[in-house]
Amino acid sequence: MPRIYVHPLPVRIWHWINALGFVTMIITGFQIRYIGLIDLLSFRTAVVVHNWIGFVLIGNFFVWLLFYLFTDKITVYHPDLSPTRQFRRSFRQMWYYGYGIFKGEPNPHHISVYHKFNAMQGMTYQVIMLLLVPLQFYTGVLLWDVNRFSGMIDVVGGVRVVDTAHVLIFIFFVGFIFVHPYLASLGHTRSAHFKAMITGYEEVEEAPGPNPQK
Amino acid sequence: MHGIRLATLVMAALFGVAGALFLGQGTARAADSAFSKADQQCLGCHSAKGLEKELTNGETLSLHVDGSAFAQSVHNMIGCAVCHADITIENHPPLKTKIASIRENSLALTKVCRSCHADIFKRYEASIHAVLLREGNPIAPVCTDCHDPHSVRHNAARESIAQVPCRKCHASIFDAYAASVHGKARSKPGQKNSAPLCADCHRAHDVRPPSVGNQVKNACLSCHKNTAAAHETWLPNTKQHLETVSCPACHSPGAKRKVDLRLYNVAEKRPVSEKEGVPLFENRARSVDAKGNGLDAMALRSLLRDFNREGAPGKTILVGRLEVRTGVEAHELADKTKAVRNCDSCHREGADPFQSVTVSIIGPDGRPMRYGAHKEVLNSVTTVESMGGFYAIGGTRIKLLDMLVVLALLIGVGVPVIHLTFGWLSRRYAKRIGGREDS
Repeated sequence: MPRIYVHPLPVRIWHWINALGFVTMIITGFQIRYIGLIDLLSFRTAVVVHNWIGFVLIGNFFVWLLFYLFTDKITVYHPDLSPTRQFRRSFRQMWYYGYGIFKGEPNPHHISVYHKFNAMQGMTYQVIMLLLVPLQFYTGVLLWDVNRFSGMIDVVGGVRVVDTAHVLIFIFFVGFIFVHPYLASLGHTRSAHFKAMITGYEEVEEAPGPNPQK
Repeated sequence: MHGIRLATLVMAALFGVAGALFLGQGTARAADSAFSKADQQCLGCHSAKGLEKELTNGETLSLHVDGSAFAQSVHNMIGCAVCHADITIENHPPLKTKIASIRENSLALTKVCRSCHADIFKRYEASIHAVLLREGNPIAPVCTDCHDPHSVRHNAARESIAQVPCRKCHASIFDAYAASVHGKARSKPGQKNSAPLCADCHRAHDVRPPSVGNQVKNACLSCHKNTAAAHETWLPNTKQHLETVSCPACHSPGAKRKVDLRLYNVAEKRPVSEKEGVPLFENRARSVDAKGNGLDAMALRSLLRDFNREGAPGKTILVGRLEVRTGVEAHELADKTKAVRNCDSCHREGADPFQSVTVSIIGPDGRPMRYGAHKEVLNSVTTVESMGGFYAIGGTRIKLLDMLVVLALLIGVGVPVIHLTFGWLSRRYAKRIGGREDS
C-alpha cells in the first residue's frame, strides 16, 4: 500500500506530548474538582501536577503554532472558501461516519500532504486549536495565580466566571478525549492512523495524487 | 466670707492632721518621698482602706487610693490636684457635689483624662468602644474602666495576662486566648514579650471591629513576617489564600468556619458601607427575601441588582471571605503544627466552611451588618455573575457543570460504544445477507 508523509516530526512530537498532557490534565482536573469522589492523588499533588503540565502544554502549543506559521503545511488547516462546499463536504463526512461506514462505503476524504484533514476535522481542529485551547490556557493561567492576575480576572467578571469557562472547556475535552481516538481508529485498519502518527507515514488505499476533492 | 475662711482653716487643720497621720503610717512609707505635701495630705485620708461614698443611685464608690501603687504609677508625678481640680478645700467633706452613679463618675472623668491625653482620646473616639458609647451602651468602656488612674503604669497592661482589662467584658474570648498558643507562651515566666496580648492585635484605644479591614491580619503578619514565604512552600495560590481566608480559619483547627460574602465596590476598591440613617441593606435584603429564611440564589442576584441600579456609584460585587464563626474560635489559635494543612478540608463537596453563609455590608457605625443566605448559593449557576468574587475549587462547584461533566462522559463513552455496536450489527447483517445469497 502506498505511503505518504503527512505528519512531520515536530507535529508528531507536539501531538504525543499534547495527548499525554491532556490526559494528565483531565485526570488531575477530575481529581481537583472531585476530591473525595476520586482519590488517586492528594489535592495538592493534583494541583501541582496540573499547573506544571499546563505550562508544558502552553510551551508545546507554540511548537505547533510556530511550525504551522513558518511552513507551508499550514494549508492543512485552511478551510474551504466556499461555505456551501465546506458544508457539503462536512455533511458527506458525517454521513460516512454515521451511515456509509457501516455499508462498507469508501471514506469520501482522501489524504494528501496538504489536505490531511477532512472538512469536518479541519473545521473542528481550527476551533479547538485557535479558540478552545488558547482560552483554556488563558483561564488556566489566571487560576494558577488568582492574586497576580486579579485585574484581568475582575475585567471578565471574577474568579467564578473564569473557573466556569475553564470547566466548560474541560467538559468539552472530556468528551473529546474519548471520541478523538475512536475516530482515529476508523482508518483502513484500527491502528493505521495511530501508526501514522508515530511514523509520519499514512498508508493510502490508492496512489497519492492531486486532491480528488478539489 | 467669714464662714468660708473659717471652714478653710478647719479643713487645713484637718488635712494637716491627716497628713501627719499618713506620714506616721508604716505601710506607705516607701512611697513618701514621691509625694508632694499636698498629695500626702490627700493620702492621709484616702489611703485608708474602706473609705467610700454612697452615690445617689445607691451604689458605693470606693475612695481608697493605695499609696504604694500610686507612688509607682505614671500619675504620681502630676499628683492629686491635677485630676481632682474640682475638689477644693471648700467643697470637700461633707461634699456638696452629688454623684449620680459610678458610671456617671467614670464618664465625668473621661473629660479629665482627655485634657492631657487628647491624642489618645481622639483614637478612642474612632474605636468600636466609642461607637458603643455613643449608641448609649451602658457598659461601653471608658478610660477608667480599663485604666485605674491611681495605679496606672506605662504598659502595665502588657506585663501579665492576668492584668489585661479586656477580660472584664470579653471573659470567654480571654479564656480562649489564655488557652491558645499565644496565651500559653505569654504566661511562661520571663516570656512576657514572646506573644501578643489583646492590644497588640486589636490596639488599645482605636479598637476596630475585628472582622472589618485588615487590622488584625496585619497584626499577625507584623510578628509572623515570613508568613507568605512559609506558606508558598506548600500552598498553591498563597496570596489569594492569605487574602481570602482569615488566619484563624486554619490556625484554630477546632473552629467551625463560614463564608461571609461582602458587598464590594469595584470602582472604589473598597467594601460598600451603609450610610447613616439610610438602612438600604437591611431593607433590600428583606424585600428580596420574601420567605424570611435567608437569601437564596435568585434573591442574592436581585440584591446585587438593587445595588447596581442605574446611578449606583460603581459596580458592586460580592467578595467572599472564609472566617471562623465566633470571636471565641478566632482566639483558639493552636501551634502551627496543628494548623489545617489538608486542602480538602475546604476543597471538597460539603466541606464545613460552606455550610454557613452570610452576606454583609459595613454598617454606619463601622461594624459589619450581616444577613443570612442559603448555603446553596455557593453552588448555583445563578450566582456565577453576582458572586463572581468567590470560588473555592471543589468546595463551591456549580451543580449544573457537574451534570454537564456526566453528559460529556456519557457522550465520550457512548458514541464509540454505539458506533461499534452499529458496526458489529451491520457486519452481522451483511454476513447473514451474504450467507443467504451464497445459499
